[in-house]
Amino acid sequence: MRVGATPSGARRAAVDRDALLAPFWAEITGIQREAEGISTYWLRFEDAALRDAYGFAPGQFNMVYLPGYGEAAISISSDPAEPGRIGHTIRFVGNVTRAVSRLKVGDVVGLRGPFGTAWPMKEAKGNDVIISAGGIGLAPLRPAIHHIVRCRADYGKVTLLYGARTPKDLLYTTEFDAWRKADIQVNVTVDRADESWQGQVGVVPLLFYRFRMEAQRSVVLSCGPEIMLRFVVFESRARRVPSDRIYLSLERNMKCGQGFCGHCQLGAHFICKHGPVFRFDDLEPYFDVEEY
Amino acid sequence: MADVQIDLGATVILGKAEFDRLLARLRALGYTTVGPRVQDGAVTYGPVERLSDLPQGYTSEQDAGRYRLVAAGHPRYFDVTPGPHTWKQYLFPPRTTLFTLRRADRGWTTESRDGIAPRFALIGVRGCELEALHVQDRVFLREDQIDPIYRERRRRLFILAVNCLRPGGTCFCASMGTGPRVGGGFDLALTELDEVFLVEIGSEVGRTLMADLAWESASAFLQHAAAQGCERAARQMGRTVHVEGLPEMVMERLEHPRWSEVGKRCLSCGSCTLVCPTCFCWDTQDHSAVKCDQTRRDRVWDSCFNPSYSYQAGGNTRPNVRSRYRQWLAHKVGAWKGQFDTLGCVGCGRCITWCPAGIDITEEIAALQQEVRS
Amino acid sequence: MNAHEDVFRTLREISWLDDLDDANLSALAEVAGFRTVAAGEDVFREGAKEDFLYIVMEGRVALELYVPHRGRVRIFTAEPEDVVGWSSVTPVVRQRTASARAVIPSRLLTLKAEALRDLCDRNHDIGYIVMRRLANVVASRLQTTRLQLLDMFGHPDQGASRG
Repeated sequence: MRVGATPSGARRAAVDRDALLAPFWAEITGIQREAEGISTYWLRFEDAALRDAYGFAPGQFNMVYLPGYGEAAISISSDPAEPGRIGHTIRFVGNVTRAVSRLKVGDVVGLRGPFGTAWPMKEAKGNDVIISAGGIGLAPLRPAIHHIVRCRADYGKVTLLYGARTPKDLLYTTEFDAWRKADIQVNVTVDRADESWQGQVGVVPLLFYRFRMEAQRSVVLSCGPEIMLRFVVFESRARRVPSDRIYLSLERNMKCGQGFCGHCQLGAHFICKHGPVFRFDDLEPYFDVEEY
Repeated sequence: MADVQIDLGATVILGKAEFDRLLARLRALGYTTVGPRVQDGAVTYGPVERLSDLPQGYTSEQDAGRYRLVAAGHPRYFDVTPGPHTWKQYLFPPRTTLFTLRRADRGWTTESRDGIAPRFALIGVRGCELEALHVQDRVFLREDQIDPIYRERRRRLFILAVNCLRPGGTCFCASMGTGPRVGGGFDLALTELDEVFLVEIGSEVGRTLMADLAWESASAFLQHAAAQGCERAARQMGRTVHVEGLPEMVMERLEHPRWSEVGKRCLSCGSCTLVCPTCFCWDTQDHSAVKCDQTRRDRVWDSCFNPSYSYQAGGNTRPNVRSRYRQWLAHKVGAWKGQFDTLGCVGCGRCITWCPAGIDITEEIAALQQEVRS
Repeated sequence: MNAHEDVFRTLREISWLDDLDDANLSALAEVAGFRTVAAGEDVFREGAKEDFLYIVMEGRVALELYVPHRGRVRIFTAEPEDVVGWSSVTPVVRQRTASARAVIPSRLLTLKAEALRDLCDRNHDIGYIVMRRLANVVASRLQTTRLQLLDMFGHPDQGASRG
């Protein structure tokens, strides 16, 4: 079994270069309910050496394999500085993820990865960072927030603009205080309120109107439903953020996660290899072509 | 002959009677020899053991949505332009088992696919097909990622190429620069004349193989005749394409009205992708035993025309035929260049012949190239 | 500092009034005032005759619709610098299209609706700036409402993302 290098440098990847799609096995050590139909699964590789050597960068994903059901590409949502304990926040929407929802602590799943490009944490140093997330889109951005909290002095003003369908669908609410204490401004909104909600009601793009940004020293990181991304791009560009300072994480049907099978192609890009995190100017030729 | 050396790059004559010995030699070296045969009214690829297995005397009439094998009665074995099969099935099999898992106390134990990869000797690879193989080399053997299944079969491959003297009705290799003469990268390359084969030595393996057979030096006259045959063939192409600026053009015309038009004719059946020698998409399939104590993960060919190709929970990024046809063509002659620094199309014409709706890729490209009149 | 200066100073800080010169801004200040509301207090009720246009200066004001059998449904919140009660200035719609209620203690700048309309009729510079802003407010609300309608976070089996 041979493994390859990861963007994290000396870290190892759980990828077998001689056996296509061969899974590595990981045990579920914890399950945390985040919202209706969404839970975070904490995983630990069974192989001790791999557990110690595995590493990932914020924004990357693993292929989670349930024998008999198939694989799903799931973003890693845990702290990259603690790679021995891998968290995947999973929304139960398809065949594989619904089967995952029936698993228990102690069960074993297949894992391959990490794959894909990462949020530009290095390039964003010295800049203001605007993190714009919608729904489950906060999951692949949480590792970036962990990184910022850890290296807070590397970044300027950091603002989180986050929205979900209803207050019950907001993820990671227990961490908002810690993030605020780390001098990250957390602005939250919901599409629909319930009786107890005292916060903002309105869509995520609206949050752009509610704070001041300096476009030339800002970097926008965004993840969420693609329609939300379109409006985030619109609002960012309306405020004169250049296309090379906007980063989006895209999703497509993935089968291999490694750039072989062709399913996730968008133009010349393989989203599993050249994404999922893209700098917007690399997407511009395709972004406005409907159904492409 | 044992005293006279064959050089790499030399062209010699091989009598047709010697050909069976060539095939036998290859089998003795452990190769499975595969080549064209007549089967079910078409020329397909499968095991061939002797020259007489090949489709001697046949030609094929090909047009958009039309294929007819004709027993023309000429003496040649390699004169039929390709049918629905491509050589990619030997390097990129339509179905492969990746691994089998068996339930253990906790979790699963893996039984990988065992066995050494097979050795294939491809008999009769035309210029367009050889080029398609090189295109697939770029897809499956990238610098930063290598498909291990393709790699193992490619390493063991023997290629006996054929210079094409009788192009088909849907051929346009000349436009694409992929034929009718074969390019490089073969072990041996034949040009078939009525009485003999001219054989060009392309590799050390090919040279060693030929050295043991009853070859003769090829006269300049015969070599000239062969070259002329190829040149004539280049002028008899069934179709043409204007290649200059093609990738840029198609990527700029993603909203051209032609897509809607062809989208009405296309059935999204995927036949074109099945017969295309460069298409590489695949899907995974999981097959489990009823007792759920065993499961098998297979890799199978897939097609961007498959409606579920771009399906994600609750939605489809290409929900109609228009968008899927556009993906296929804009990829094949457009985005492919950005990915692999070559075009995906080699001009073999199969997608034209085997399209049940008779859609012609050369016609679609020409329509896109027309300036849109406002 | 007298009440007028206080109002003037507050108006001067509102970004979308930057294009108005001091003289025009002063004329606007003539028809403006302040109002403080406690958490939970109604600013105006749905169906009421309009009387003021409001600009939120501090706090948060929720827009709510009364839905029989469900009660008041909160559909939008206005944050500082947002306009609430645009219906008071539009020529045709003359009653409140929703209720407004303070979520947390809030301070509002108020503009007398009838006086504001008269001012806009007489002074087209002010009129244009005010109407331009209101056009943006209504457009933005429409955009937001459309996205809310699309239910883009809804489960894939429901909502707009259904294939």
